[in-house]
Amino acid sequence: MAIFLTKKYLSRRTFLRGSGVALGLPFLEAMVPAATALADTAAAPKTRAGFFYIPHGAIGNNTPFGKDVDAWTSSGKGADFKLGHTVAPLEPVKNYVTTFENIENLAAGGSVHTLNPATWLSCVRPDTAAKGASMAITLDQVIAQHLGQKTALPSLEVASETTIQVAACGGAGCYYASTTSYAGPHSPLPMEYNPRKVFIQLMGEGDTAAEREALLRKNASILDMVSDRAKSLSSDLGPGDKARLADYLDSVREVERRVNMAGSRDFSGVNVPVAPVGELDDFDKQVRLMFDLIALAYQADLTRVASYVMVAEGTNRTYNHVGVPDSFHPVSHHSNDRERIRRLTVIQRYHMERFADFVKKLSTIKEGDGSILDHSLLLYGSNMSNSNQHDNYPLPEVLVGGANGAHVGGKNLTLPPRTPLANLHLTILDKVGIKQPSFGNSTGLITEV
Amino acid sequence: MRKSRAVLKAVLVRVGMGVPVAWLALAAGVAHSQAAAPSPGDGKVFTDMVNTRCVKCHNADDWAGSLAMDTMDLKAAGQNPEVWEKAIAKLSSRLMPPAGAPQPPQPEVDAVVNYLQSTVDAAANDRRVGHVPIQRLSRAEFAASVRDLVGVEVDPKQILPTEIEVDGFSNIAGALVISPSFMEQYLSAARKVAQIAIGEPVPKMESVFYRGGGGGGGQAGPGSPTQLQHKDGYPLGTRGGVDFTHVFPRDGEYRFNFLEGDSIDAGLYPRGMETRATMVVLIDGREVARRQIGGFDDLSLADRDGPKGRTAVVAEVSGIPAHVTAGEHTVTVTFIERSSLAESNDPTGAGKVSGMPIIRDGVQVVGPFAPEGLSLSASRAKIFVCQPKQESEETACAQRIARHLATQAFRRPVTDADVQLLMKFYATGRAEPGGFDNGVTELVTAILSSPDFLYRAISSSPNPGESRVLDDRELAARLSFFIWNEGPDEQLTALAAKNQLDDPAVMQAQVERMLKDPRAQSLVENFAFSWLNMATLAQVEPLDPRFNAGMRGNFETEIRMFLTSVLLGNRNVTELLTADYTFVNESLAQQYGIPGVLGPQFRKVTLADENRWGLLGKGAVELRTSYGDRTSPVLRGEYVLDRILGTPPTPPPPGVNTDLSVHEGQPPATVRARLEAHRANPTCKGCHGVMDPYGLALENFDVTGRWREVDAQAKNAPIDATTELSGGAVLRGPADLRRYLTRRPEQFPTTVTKRLMMYALNREIEYYDMPQIRKIVHEAAAHNYTLGALITGIVNSDSFRRQGPEAPAPKLPVGTKTASIEHLRSDATQQ
Repeated sequence: MAIFLTKKYLSRRTFLRGSGVALGLPFLEAMVPAATALADTAAAPKTRAGFFYIPHGAIGNNTPFGKDVDAWTSSGKGADFKLGHTVAPLEPVKNYVTTFENIENLAAGGSVHTLNPATWLSCVRPDTAAKGASMAITLDQVIAQHLGQKTALPSLEVASETTIQVAACGGAGCYYASTTSYAGPHSPLPMEYNPRKVFIQLMGEGDTAAEREALLRKNASILDMVSDRAKSLSSDLGPGDKARLADYLDSVREVERRVNMAGSRDFSGVNVPVAPVGELDDFDKQVRLMFDLIALAYQADLTRVASYVMVAEGTNRTYNHVGVPDSFHPVSHHSNDRERIRRLTVIQRYHMERFADFVKKLSTIKEGDGSILDHSLLLYGSNMSNSNQHDNYPLPEVLVGGANGAHVGGKNLTLPPRTPLANLHLTILDKVGIKQPSFGNSTGLITEV
Repeated sequence: MRKSRAVLKAVLVRVGMGVPVAWLALAAGVAHSQAAAPSPGDGKVFTDMVNTRCVKCHNADDWAGSLAMDTMDLKAAGQNPEVWEKAIAKLSSRLMPPAGAPQPPQPEVDAVVNYLQSTVDAAANDRRVGHVPIQRLSRAEFAASVRDLVGVEVDPKQILPTEIEVDGFSNIAGALVISPSFMEQYLSAARKVAQIAIGEPVPKMESVFYRGGGGGGGQAGPGSPTQLQHKDGYPLGTRGGVDFTHVFPRDGEYRFNFLEGDSIDAGLYPRGMETRATMVVLIDGREVARRQIGGFDDLSLADRDGPKGRTAVVAEVSGIPAHVTAGEHTVTVTFIERSSLAESNDPTGAGKVSGMPIIRDGVQVVGPFAPEGLSLSASRAKIFVCQPKQESEETACAQRIARHLATQAFRRPVTDADVQLLMKFYATGRAEPGGFDNGVTELVTAILSSPDFLYRAISSSPNPGESRVLDDRELAARLSFFIWNEGPDEQLTALAAKNQLDDPAVMQAQVERMLKDPRAQSLVENFAFSWLNMATLAQVEPLDPRFNAGMRGNFETEIRMFLTSVLLGNRNVTELLTADYTFVNESLAQQYGIPGVLGPQFRKVTLADENRWGLLGKGAVELRTSYGDRTSPVLRGEYVLDRILGTPPTPPPPGVNTDLSVHEGQPPATVRARLEAHRANPTCKGCHGVMDPYGLALENFDVTGRWREVDAQAKNAPIDATTELSGGAVLRGPADLRRYLTRRPEQFPTTVTKRLMMYALNREIEYYDMPQIRKIVHEAAAHNYTLGALITGIVNSDSFRRQGPEAPAPKLPVGTKTASIEHLRSDATQQ
């Protein structure tokens, strides 16, 4: 196989179009080149935002055993700031880390699982009586509207596995369990879990610069035709259908914008790896690969906003690779059993470890006056607290990154009881330079952040 | 009234005595009486039940379920169908009154259900129908459409984004949202399909990897049995292998590769190399190459020389060249079977299986090397309705191609303006290298990208609030997407053009014709698999070491053949629950304990054991409703309630403990014992008292569908599959459950019709559809409740033939309210 890989006439496109080659770890290494060309050309700071969702909460000070089993809560201040066991993988970068106590999200209340993913970033209770999806724009998409217009992809939504899992969908369909991202009240965005498709979304198709350009030109004229035809179809339709077709037209225009942006993409500083073959059977590799793809997207400035569902709400996946033979979801119903709580903590720490690897990687990629981590603001957390109760208070949330100097970590904030999660979201908006009076059910900024 | 109650009571006694024939006749009588106006006496049964059993919770103080029946006019139940259709469903499945509360006797429930159904049906004369918004082709519809239009087979999961599912269906109009990434992927899919269909005028070398074969145990483990036995459909005398369909872009030489040592079991523990074997490559069943692999030399190479040696071994079977013509061909790579005497190097016979080369991961195709011309492929035959002999003929021919393809793709007559628009794309492509073919590639790309292809809409009435009858073109499209998952064919289009589809007889003839067409298999793949949650079998990973991917494949094959045989074989749909036959091969027969079935090919067998009859005796269903490490009566009970009875239970409230695992230090107990301890909680009992008994009746089936008398995980405690349903009926195992679920002949056809109607209409079923559904089922009785009869009923119903007005903001019916966020907060803090 290697024979074919190195031959010049087999260009990258060849591998994009075929399912390419089996690749394991070498791909991961290839993802993080030491290149700095992009960084050197960076004129203005590029703020990145990322949202990393994990279902089933975290074992913290939210069980009848209290501090005995608390693996989440941080302690101390300044030099004494110490992260809980689950969060400890972030220790090497803890100066970028803020943890929180007493955060609540009422928007998911009582839904058990069905509303958790979607309301994590919306803090607006969906109208489950409505036909079809009906909620509100999510935090990541508000940011994408502001930061995303400068990149080929305004935002990237990915998952480690399919998020359409009947077990978690409930009566309202899969509108709220399958995604953390809504571009508008009626526009849930799909979470892509096939790394191959994510890759093509990022890198595009086409061999040489000339061929890419020809393809872009052709696509542009097809898009012209598409929008003309859509407008003409629209004239015969009722108001509701017109609105649906308007969504389609918006997508067409957005793709046109991307086509224009794509012409100016510059991969010169990035070692573009071979495309992955598809969803990987090995869950651990799949998670690492998704994080690598996000890192690549940040590094090559293909997108500045990413949302990642690390494992699906309704998952029955087992974690044998970290010594837990149980399925995540059933074991999350720990029924106050110490052994089950221990196992659940192992799973929760595993996910944090992968996230921490990613954060550390961002801290090593130089850009302008610092690293990508200095220019990022990342939220890692869940929309559930104690998975045995399916409650939504206190929520485990961690904020990481320098946000171009707007966020200084190294602290744990004990907030007033039942502080709305939306206050944190409003604060995040503020830190990335988006000023708005409120977000979801927010009551104000968290000024201590 | 007294008389009718007495009759019903008598019926129940007879059923109890096991005389279902009598019940059948009587049930038909009951069904007929639905059309008549209800007698006032029946109404008293209803008001009595509401007053004695329902208002205790559903009142203006407690608002249980956001419902206060004491504020409703019970005399006018027909005017409030939204509420009472729910009551009909909850009562029929005995979800209400909640388990644990005193239960009404079955005749009383039946009488109230009958009263409510006939009252609601009699009042349903306003012909309200639902609205279906404009919808995009789902990815499955896109794939089916391009297969027919241009003869290209694509895997929609690989090239298009995931769809949002509603009740398992991915063709619900309201959920077919669009986003920029959808848009991009559809555009790129259109281009890809066009290139594959026409073949690349300027071919590029490409490599495609096809997964397949069977997973070995990683290190020295035996390959999956499928790799050690003859595979169905493969040439006789071969063993194992992998096959796939590849579209070869151009005539020329292609090469077949294996990517690493592990792919042929020549990895770190190269057990596969222990014996010499002959690998053969076949194109469309014709041998094009063979290679030797394995044996002493290869074994030592792989064993001694490490990675270098393994690479050398792989090289022996890499780059196998073959000359292939352009177009779609089936590639098979397999091994020549040797006699087991020659094969065996293990006196016990057990080690023999691990000592042969196998195909574990799949095969890579690379090419074309030295490309030649383009032969006429099936795709090209579909597209090129003409072939220009000289340049001056090209434009006219391209116009013909555009008109021909667009007429099918757009599902409407094509105008000159349409053709003019498309010809611009032809001109762009024609000006590039690749000539005429390249122009046509651009043309096809444009057609497949156009919203005329990608969207279908049903117009609404111009008068607000009114419904509108579909025109024939809309009807043809709706019918065709329903049965075939793609647009109408020429015959259907021609009938629509002549406006003949409003004739129910013509419609029925079309339904019959379409059901006989191979494309109707879509009803199994897209409708039944989604409805029965069979598309996600891979999500359960049993811990049972005897289970492997081959068995999962067997389950899937069995369920597919079984569904096809009942649904497309013109049988009563209830046979899905009762059929005394199935389809098995040797290893599945072993799993089920059926003697005398030899060989890997599937064949129809009669099931002597009545516990295996119907869906609830199938391995696929048992697996799908289990966890990896144990059975789940809850999942199975929910499956019965939701998929078979058509009444999904509500999800558990917050704060409940749903864990059934055995904890450290606890003695192992059967799942049943653990579940019962758990169900002692009255909050749980309300739903689980209804749900779990169904699942407990299936406890004799383990996770992978084997029959068991004892629970190996609980020190071989005997399995007790005796269970009492919330309504009081006692079931002893799967056969009893089957009899219970089919005791009323219209019950299961009603569930099928509800799901089928949702699939057909591309929207969720509403209370105002229910009278029509009951009518369809009632009329299908005379036709033995076949799928064809149900489909005919659906396509002739108002819901199918009319488009409702766009929905105004939903208005809450009298006596109901929605939960507010404050309400939830107080609930949350009470825990």
